[in-house]
Amino acid sequence: MNRLTSLSKNIIQFSRYLRLQGFTVGIEEEALILQSLQHFDFSSHELFFLLLKTIICRSKAQLDAFDNLFNEYWKQLNKAVDAKQKEAAKKKPPTPREQFASLNAWLHGHRHQEIEETSGYSIHESLSQKDFAAVPDNEVSELMKAIQHLSKRLAAKSNRRYEVSNKHDLPHLRATLRKNLRRGGELIEIVHRRPKRNRVKLLMLCDVSKSMELYSAFLLQFMYAFQQAYSRMETFVFSTSLKRVTPMLKLNSFRETLDLLSKEQEGWHGGTRIGESLNTFVKDYGRKLIDSKTIVIILSDGWDTGKIDLLEKSMQMIHARSKKVIWLNPLAGYTAWRPEVAGMKAALPYVDVFAAVYNIESLRKLGRWL
Amino acid sequence: MHLSDIQNMLQQQGYITDKAVAMSVFLSLQLQKPLLIEGPAGVGKTEIAKVMATALQTDLIRLQCYEGLDATHALYEWNYQRQLLHLKMTEHDTHSIDEKEKTIFSDAFLMKRPLLQAITHHQKPVLLIDEIDRSDEEFESFLLEVLSEWQITIPETGTIKATHIPQVILTSNRTRELSEALRRRCLYLYIDYPDFDKEWLIVKNKVPGIDAKLAEQITRFMQQLRTMKLEKTPGIAETIDWATALATLHIAHLDKSIIEQTLGVVLKEWSDTRQVQLSLSELLEKTGIHSKVSSE
Repeated sequence: MNRLTSLSKNIIQFSRYLRLQGFTVGIEEEALILQSLQHFDFSSHELFFLLLKTIICRSKAQLDAFDNLFNEYWKQLNKAVDAKQKEAAKKKPPTPREQFASLNAWLHGHRHQEIEETSGYSIHESLSQKDFAAVPDNEVSELMKAIQHLSKRLAAKSNRRYEVSNKHDLPHLRATLRKNLRRGGELIEIVHRRPKRNRVKLLMLCDVSKSMELYSAFLLQFMYAFQQAYSRMETFVFSTSLKRVTPMLKLNSFRETLDLLSKEQEGWHGGTRIGESLNTFVKDYGRKLIDSKTIVIILSDGWDTGKIDLLEKSMQMIHARSKKVIWLNPLAGYTAWRPEVAGMKAALPYVDVFAAVYNIESLRKLGRWL
Repeated sequence: MHLSDIQNMLQQQGYITDKAVAMSVFLSLQLQKPLLIEGPAGVGKTEIAKVMATALQTDLIRLQCYEGLDATHALYEWNYQRQLLHLKMTEHDTHSIDEKEKTIFSDAFLMKRPLLQAITHHQKPVLLIDEIDRSDEEFESFLLEVLSEWQITIPETGTIKATHIPQVILTSNRTRELSEALRRRCLYLYIDYPDFDKEWLIVKNKVPGIDAKLAEQITRFMQQLRTMKLEKTPGIAETIDWATALATLHIAHLDKSIIEQTLGVVLKEWSDTRQVQLSLSELLEKTGIHSKVSSE
């Protein structure tokens, strides 16, 4: 009995330790563990480990982290027990091993709030000169998820209308009556309807000039992920001139896309002539690609070395023809930033949504404004 | 019931497992908790539910999730056509409207969908909610409610309480993160591609009569294949398909031309096939097949 009490104590303490590591272990889990322990004899260390793991872990990441935490904890626990026994005679000496310092401190009652894992995209990560091979693809899937979520919101936005459908969703009473009139009004065949799907089109114009170089990795991932997640979409890149990159972004693998893009990168990381580029776009593609169902997304910092009046004219035209203009500026994330760049100033009146996007987190926030 | 019982039980049904899987199934049964299984496609997530149903000698009720799945598809729907016909046929009866209403909103006119089926089943069934990640968040929270209350309210007739709480298995391919709330309701199990020994056992088990040598070669090749960066990494299902195909063709050992001819069983993506074809010799060398064949 004594043994059981100490075991349950240990389990509770272990759960508290895991909570510090960001696990969500509640009283419920602790109770479940104690409850299921009765089905086992305690002889097997392995079974005990598996039992805890199965009940506590809730995701792949937790499963992966669990083994180490478990081992460290029980190793340190044994030490701590020894230490406590010695403590009766003498005060415990400071622990020598640095990597277990936080765990030890915690076991002996001192809490450290500094144990905090941060993972994120560094906006300062720069690419070596025009070398796309260095662009990681690990965040592409993450980005795609965020964008899929976004695009669903976009698509779900304005449609509360219904369209006729043969999927059994809602009966379409009016059509049902009409159809069955020829049978003298006997309702036999039922017509169904469902919410009409929205056919929002997206158009992305992405600035890849020198001033945006810091964000190239993010931009590439962003463009690729967006194109993959949203099929009714066209993508263009511009710096001094304009180029359509939609087909390259539609490839199955991000690597292939990078290969292709790096082959045709004259103009990447050059100067910026937003005005001229947008004007070319309006002239060559504008009428064809922009209509009242199109949302235009412009990714640029607004640094322009070209003609400002041309930029203004083009923006006016884009704004007038499209459903919405969204300008995403990576620089706007800095608190000190003001839209004082001449190009930005000229464009702002024609922008519906202006937001900072420089990593996944900011992208998620964007969802609220769309 | 003991943990070893579970492992034997699964084994008897031809499902080769490791301790982690057995533990999850065991705890899920003991604690009456839903089991959420994640992992890449084709590693036998759905299979667990089927095997469990057979082992527990009960029925498997399956709810396949898809985008746009909503409550009416998962719970119940009234059979409108039948209701209308019934009303028409009893038009000249002298029953009161109340009575008529009672009749057309009775069990006979109710079309039970998987969730309602599961909770009104005559014995404790295994309820498989497949590919939950494909449904949307709305449905997920709806499911949460059902999974915790085990009762369903139908406005016309009232609340139906579960006669038996089903054994629930949820699977997900991780195309979207599931909500924390749903995760907390479930036990979590991640199944990865099997290691060589496990896969070899599975092949021998699932394809009886296969040449032991061939089984080994196939397994080695598949293990090697999974180390490549493919669009669609083949799972165990593909391994079994391939082994069955080769065994049916009475092939005793792998060689380059046979692999080339039957690659379509394993790889379902054109670019993958292309990639593997190009590096086939190298692959075979790594697998240790090439040298053997040429010496024979």
